[in-house]
Amino acid sequence: MTGAVAGAQPPRGRPSAPRSTGQGFGRLLVTVYGILAFAALGRSGYELATKFSEAPVAYSLSAFSAVVYVVATIALARGRGAWRAVAWVAVSIEAVGVLTVGALSLASPDVFGESTVWSGFGQGYGYIPLVLPFAGLWWLLRTRARSAAPSAGDPGRPRPA
Amino acid sequence: MLTPTPGAGLVAGRVQAGILGAVVLPLLLLLVALCVALAAWALVFVVRDRAVILRQLFGAAVVEAVLVVQAVVAAVLLVTGDHAVNAVLFWGYLATALLVLPIAAAWAFAERTRWSSVVLMVASLTVAFLGFRLWQIWAAA
Repeated sequence: MTGAVAGAQPPRGRPSAPRSTGQGFGRLLVTVYGILAFAALGRSGYELATKFSEAPVAYSLSAFSAVVYVVATIALARGRGAWRAVAWVAVSIEAVGVLTVGALSLASPDVFGESTVWSGFGQGYGYIPLVLPFAGLWWLLRTRARSAAPSAGDPGRPRPA
Repeated sequence: MLTPTPGAGLVAGRVQAGILGAVVLPLLLLLVALCVALAAWALVFVVRDRAVILRQLFGAAVVEAVLVVQAVVAAVLLVTGDHAVNAVLFWGYLATALLVLPIAAAWAFAERTRWSSVVLMVASLTVAFLGFRLWQIWAAA
């Protein structure tokens, strides 16, 4: 953490309280999450309704990712208190999911039978599923509470005034 | 599609369906064009560091109106059986397209910074993409 990053905090943010994850850049983040949640829900609903038996693993995975996107969208939109913890969990699951499924799908294309939202690192969705969880993690870090005294986590952080 | 058919009672219906059928793709084209225009307008606001204004929401309402007309035309065509299409996909995309702008507009309007304009831009481009997909689904049938 450098002084430049600390100085880039929007002036409206109260320095000691966590900012809501739904404000500012968070508006865009939640929007993209919401769109992806819609896309994943639609895809998964279609797959479950019409052809689940063809590739149960892949379609279950798609349904799971859809649920995670919905939870992440709501949690990031709420953005305060316990919702932040929910957002951390959901976004982390996504990050692990897209990297694991992406890597597996490249290593052996037939592993899930059919493609999923996370196959090829989210290739079918313009790699947005790959970028989004890391943008989410970055944003959760960026908006977290900052104590008055330098914490053990960031010993070297400059404290202007 | 407009070739006259001998079945006397059906002719009027067929002609009507033919006209409606010829309207679907131009409507989708209009939809995509309007969405791109709305996105460009929002981009101007992003560059000028401005939040979404009410007039832009009226623009989004026009897009919604085109989508509703599209839905009615498609429903008539699909019910009268003139056009076979993957109905689940088509209605899924259309329903999603109808939901995106109202939700995004409300979400954007609550934020009074340039990020609200970014949200409107992303939502408009999403509807444009959904319009393009609807076109593909309709044309594939």
